[in-house]
Order: sequence, then structure tokens, then C-alpha cells
Amino acid sequence: MRAVAVVGTGQTRHASRRDDVSQPELVHEAVCAALADAAMTPADVDAVLIGNMELFEGRALPELWVGAGALASGVCDTVLVVGFGKHSEGHTQTGMALTDPFWDRSVASGAVGNFALSVSQYVSERGVTEEQAARVAVKARRNAARNPHAHLQRADLTVEEVLASRVLAHPLHLLDMCPQSDGAAAVVIAAGEIARRHNPRPAWVKATATRHDQCYIGDLDKRLLRMPTLRDAAASAYRQAGIDDPLRDLDVAEIYEPCTYAELAWYEALGFCPDGEAGRLVDSATTEMEGELPVNPSGGVLSTNPVGASGVIRVAEAALQIHGRGGARQVPDVQMALATGYGVYAWADVIVLGDTP
Amino acid sequence: MNQQPAAQLATQITLDITWHYSATEAMSRFLAGLRERRIEALRCDGCGRRYLPPRPFCGRCCLRMHNWVPVADMGTIEAWTVVHVPVLDSRTGAPRPLPYGMALIRLDGADTTLNHYLDETDPAELCIGARVRAVWRDEVVGAMDDISHFEVLR
Repeated sequence: MRAVAVVGTGQTRHASRRDDVSQPELVHEAVCAALADAAMTPADVDAVLIGNMELFEGRALPELWVGAGALASGVCDTVLVVGFGKHSEGHTQTGMALTDPFWDRSVASGAVGNFALSVSQYVSERGVTEEQAARVAVKARRNAARNPHAHLQRADLTVEEVLASRVLAHPLHLLDMCPQSDGAAAVVIAAGEIARRHNPRPAWVKATATRHDQCYIGDLDKRLLRMPTLRDAAASAYRQAGIDDPLRDLDVAEIYEPCTYAELAWYEALGFCPDGEAGRLVDSATTEMEGELPVNPSGGVLSTNPVGASGVIRVAEAALQIHGRGGARQVPDVQMALATGYGVYAWADVIVLGDTP
Repeated sequence: MNQQPAAQLATQITLDITWHYSATEAMSRFLAGLRERRIEALRCDGCGRRYLPPRPFCGRCCLRMHNWVPVADMGTIEAWTVVHVPVLDSRTGAPRPLPYGMALIRLDGADTTLNHYLDETDPAELCIGARVRAVWRDEVVGAMDDISHFEVLR
């Protein structure tokens, strides 16, 4: 198997409405940026993998996984991976409610209600406070203010403002939730020597893991607490990458956190802290920009969410930290970076990138 | 010749589309049961899990399921929330009145949970572990919302 690396990344400006571009033009904006970043032209690309919200594929990372596999096996030398979403031209919440027409469509609660149900279990068992969740929201929007692509940028957001924002579904406030954005992201991955030619610091793919679970949401017990897909995927990826202690061994993480409480739950599922310690981890500022393991320097999904691109954005942001091209959101001297994808508790993707093959 | 850029246009499209779905065998039996205010789950011979909604195969054991087991229309709240954002009522197409209570309910006799509405919208009155009972509509048609909501028992 050949070593493969992310050699270029590109993103659009993400916003609630991008009326200035059509969906293909949105993709064009991200792809041009990624190719320029990789010092490539379209003629240099052997294959394109593109996904969006429709089948949830751009949200997760299987397309990157497949792309990495094609590269590693020698089928292709360079692959362009694109995710996009233009929510202002769709009906995301209605789409999310189009579940099994015989079972739960008539009693669907939409994305926010669904998260809130899981959060009630998480809060009940872990005892995290609304303030601890709000701190995640503040961190995300403050980090986003350093990211020129981010949709919601609020350097001065306070915990009090988060708690004063209207309740969407108890206990989730408006500012506990991700937005819906228009945007696209693209990454260029390349094999071996080609990767080295196109980037002085390629972000080598050290590990990838994808896990899926049963399809009905009621099949998944205590989903936010247990999240077996993410726990299993992380364990496999850490084994592949030789990571014993993720908090120590990782330099930065870009995790797919659809709401503040999910970020806390993922800290536990990803082994950043023992179960029950996530509230304390956020209180200790460990995951802030200046902390031991900065989580989501980009501002995360909480700040930017073109759903079909949100998974690819995580990989792009993790990669550019290794490339050293993070600008104002650059974490110093990143050698090992984590990116995750997530979907409705039933599946999870974990990828580890490193500065050496 | 200088030309002004054309004004950007937008268009609104309204769709009214009809879909056809097949319930297949297991779900058809379940829905027929609802018409008699009866709930049944399928039980896996491998792991013993009693599945709602019933489906032909256990995803854990990859075994075909044949054993129907009765499920009560009472259960326990496993998770709850009170929602303040609108969702469309599937019967009327109109937004549901706000706020509304929702729960994941484990019915007595089933091992999976189901999403449903509650008659309670005060967070102080809701907790995990609370007992609930189905409130059936007067006219049942063989659909999940033949149960209009669940009543929180005190």
C-alpha cells in the first residue's frame, strides 16, 4: 500500500445564503481554491469524489476513505474530494423529518428535538451543566472569528448570551445548535512522491475508520452516552496510528459536533477524558486554542454547517493545521491531527493525519 | 459599450408530490394490529431482542425473525424534551401547536424505544423513568399516529 496525503484544501465563504452563486458555482469556488492550494490544474486530477446532503455522504468521510483506498492501491495518483450543501435552496428540516413513513414520520421531532432527547439522557447521567455546554458554544464562535471562511463569528460571545438565547428544545438554546449554511469544501489527496511534490508538508493519512449501526433511531440505546460507532472507530484509528493517549498524542482535533452537548459527549467517546469528565475538561480550558488539545480551531460545525460539506471541512481543517496554513487559527507545530464525521448517532468516521507517512 | 450587470433573479418553486410506499409483510401485520389498538413486536431467536418497529431481520444476529410478541400500550420515558420549534403535523400538513412534549418511550414488552408526543409541556413535570400510557384516537386507521400522544402517569 502506498502512503497517501492531503496536499491541498479549499473552502468557500460559508454563509446562511449564497445567492451570488449557484450550486455548481459554489463547488467551483471550493475546487479552484483546493487545486490552487495543491499547485494543480484539473488535468492533474485522476478521479473526483463528490457528495452532498442528499444521501448524507458529504457529511461523513466515506468518500475520502474510498479515495484514500484508490490511491493506496495504485488505481489513481490524485483524487479530488468535494462536499457541498446549499441549505438556502432546500428544506433541510423537512428532509430530516422524512423518516420511515409507517413508523416514525408522523411523530418525528426534527433534528433539534432529536438531539434534545439524547441530551436529556446525557445530562441525567453525566450531570453536565448548561454553563459547561454554553462554554463550548463560546469557544466555537470565538475560534470561528479567526477563520475567514466561518459562517458564525463572534469573538465576544458570552456564556450568559448563550443561556439567554431562546430555547429551541429543552435544554438546547439557539446558540447551543449548529447553523444551516451554504458552502462547499474540497481536498486534494495524492500518493507518495506526487504528494511531496505538491506540498512541502503533506498531511499523511495515518488511519481511517468508519462504523455504522442499525438504522432505526430507537434501536440505539442511550445514543449520546454510548455512541459505540464513534468509540469503535476511534479505537481502531488510534491503533492504526499508534496513538495510546489521544489527549497527549494529538496536537489538534476537528470533530463533528452538531450541538454543544455532543462535543462534550465526543470528548468522552474519543478518549480525551474518562466518561463523566467532559464538563471538567471544558472548564479547564484544555480544548481551547491555547490548551493542551485545541478542539475545532475552525469554529467547528457549531459555527459553519453546509451539512454535505461539514465532514470534508473537518478533514480540510485538520490537514491545513499540518500544512501550517491555518493563518490566525493555526495551532503551533501540529504533527498529529484528528478529524471526525458523524450522522444521526448511527454512524461515525474517524481519520488521523500526520506530518510523516 | 458599457453594460450594467443584470439584476440577480430568484424563483420560488412549490412542489406537491405524491409518493407510494410499500409496508411489506412485517409492518403490514403491525399496522393491522394498530387498527385493533394492539401493538406487537418481532423477537429475535438469537439475541432475544424484541424489535419495534418489527422488521424481517435482526441487524445484530442477521437472523430472520418469526416470533411475534405482545407489547403493552404503556411504557417508560427513556428521554424527553419540550420542543419550541415547529414541525409539520403529518395528518393536517399544518405546523403543530407549540410547545409540545416529546419522549423516547420504551413500551412494556419491547426492547427498542419509540418517539412520541407527550401531553406535558412543563420541564419540571418530566423525568426519565416516568410512566406513560398511550392515548388512542377515537378513529383508528392502522397508522402510528392512531396513538395521538402519551399521557404522563402520576
